[in-house]
Amino acid sequence: MTRLLDYLRLVWSYVRLNFAAQLEYRGAFVSQVVAMFINDLAWVAFWVLFFTRFPVLRDWNVSDVITIWAIATAGFGVAHAIYGNAGMIASLIAQGQIDVWMLYPRAVLPHLLLGRMSATALGDVLFGFAVYIVAVQPDLAHFALFTALVGSTAVLFVGFGVMAGSIGFYLGNATTLAQQWQFAMVTFSTYPATLFQGAVKVVLFTAVPALFINHYPVEALRSLSLSDAALAFLGSLGVLAAGVAVFHHGLRRYESGNLLVMRE
Amino acid sequence: MNALAKYVYVGRTAVRSNMAYLGEVAARVFFLTVILYIFLQLWLVTYAETGADRLGGLTLAQMLWYLVITEAITLSAPAVALEIDSDVRTGAIAVQLVRPLSYPLYRLWATLGERAVRFILNALVGSALALLMVGPIALSPQGLGLFLLALPLAFVLDFMAYLAIGLCAFWLENTSGLVLIYSRMTMIFGGVLLPIELYPDSVQWLLVNLPFASIAYAPARMFVDPNAFELVKVLARQGVGIAIFAAIAAAIYAAALRRIHAHGG
Repeated sequence: MTRLLDYLRLVWSYVRLNFAAQLEYRGAFVSQVVAMFINDLAWVAFWVLFFTRFPVLRDWNVSDVITIWAIATAGFGVAHAIYGNAGMIASLIAQGQIDVWMLYPRAVLPHLLLGRMSATALGDVLFGFAVYIVAVQPDLAHFALFTALVGSTAVLFVGFGVMAGSIGFYLGNATTLAQQWQFAMVTFSTYPATLFQGAVKVVLFTAVPALFINHYPVEALRSLSLSDAALAFLGSLGVLAAGVAVFHHGLRRYESGNLLVMRE
Repeated sequence: MNALAKYVYVGRTAVRSNMAYLGEVAARVFFLTVILYIFLQLWLVTYAETGADRLGGLTLAQMLWYLVITEAITLSAPAVALEIDSDVRTGAIAVQLVRPLSYPLYRLWATLGERAVRFILNALVGSALALLMVGPIALSPQGLGLFLLALPLAFVLDFMAYLAIGLCAFWLENTSGLVLIYSRMTMIFGGVLLPIELYPDSVQWLLVNLPFASIAYAPARMFVDPNAFELVKVLARQGVGIAIFAAIAAAIYAAALRRIHAHGG
């Protein structure tokens, strides 16, 4: 318990410092947050236009797709606002920058992940909550479950980022591959699960586990189903466990870059 | 070397440079594959559920080929605004200005060269995927010719917008936000994901006449449904769009040049 509280204090300190660092370039920070909000809004506008012309897609309506976007953007945003290095692990490995994190008297992975905050991620968080409140107009129970599912999605994005980035331990420079893999995850997560059938569905449970974002959370919120919510959480925890396992297995193969550089 | 030959040489150099890094360009192909697969699923379900043979005047195969072209155009956009932003921020623009070249024209031709390579690669891969997924659509040499006439001015129009955005770096801390907003306006108002015929009737006329539609929608529509009479209107709209964006970029460039202070080197 003491260790958990100690870690939460560390998280809070990093979030505060990272946020202060972002505010040093206030104009750039605000413009990136606003731009990401507008980016997300453009995608939702596409779906609103689509459903205006075709109101139902295999029992899915515009509210369901807005729910996917709200959960995916808010979850992705929370993950990368707090654990901004989750999407950077392959590049840190390729550049030999893991060394510095191994020198601290702390567990490497949970500390390393805190090293960066993505400014655009804050735009995602604002958008996710705003669009859910304004477009779906949830009652208190739905909003509470939505918030919990945003947490589950954030865990999944962190775990997946760690897993995708850790292939760098085995392949050397896997920056592009990790980026493409994460891109596939984000893209599949934001389209209705009902579009995908057969073998692709197996992929969406395993290599690109998007169904834990675009299927179970939506089903959970449709009927306040705690069993679907539990499956979403279990899936996220499974991906996180896989990511942590791959990272630690790969870390044993890591060779120092002997890099002499100030930490960014 | 006459003026035009200089810029053509810049364009050719950009083509050769991008040919040398085809691996980096090919990385974008993965993006295209995922997007096209997802859109195929989306439209397969939509055509099946509506029971329609044509939506927005397009068959399922034409719809996917339309998306191949809009995505190939969109994904071929080079990061020219961010490069101009970097030139301004690092002061490299001062070096460019002493060269016997117009900086905007140098950027235009370099961008056209880079974009040509990226577009051709995207279109080839997209076409292979579309052939696998939905098979061929009826194409004729004349139709392809009309499409190829609509394409270059679309690239020039897009460049003018990115030039104006990149030059805003003289006043803004970071222009990447503006780049993202502009690209999303092109996506939504320009019919990249959805042909404009499927938008609400009340906004179709306005969207077709905005410059955004001249970048992706117009060439893609010309590819799947070529029409010489329509091409004249497309070229006219592209010309007007280029004139407007170029005037904005020229005004920003003139104001920006007055802010440059070079102190030796």
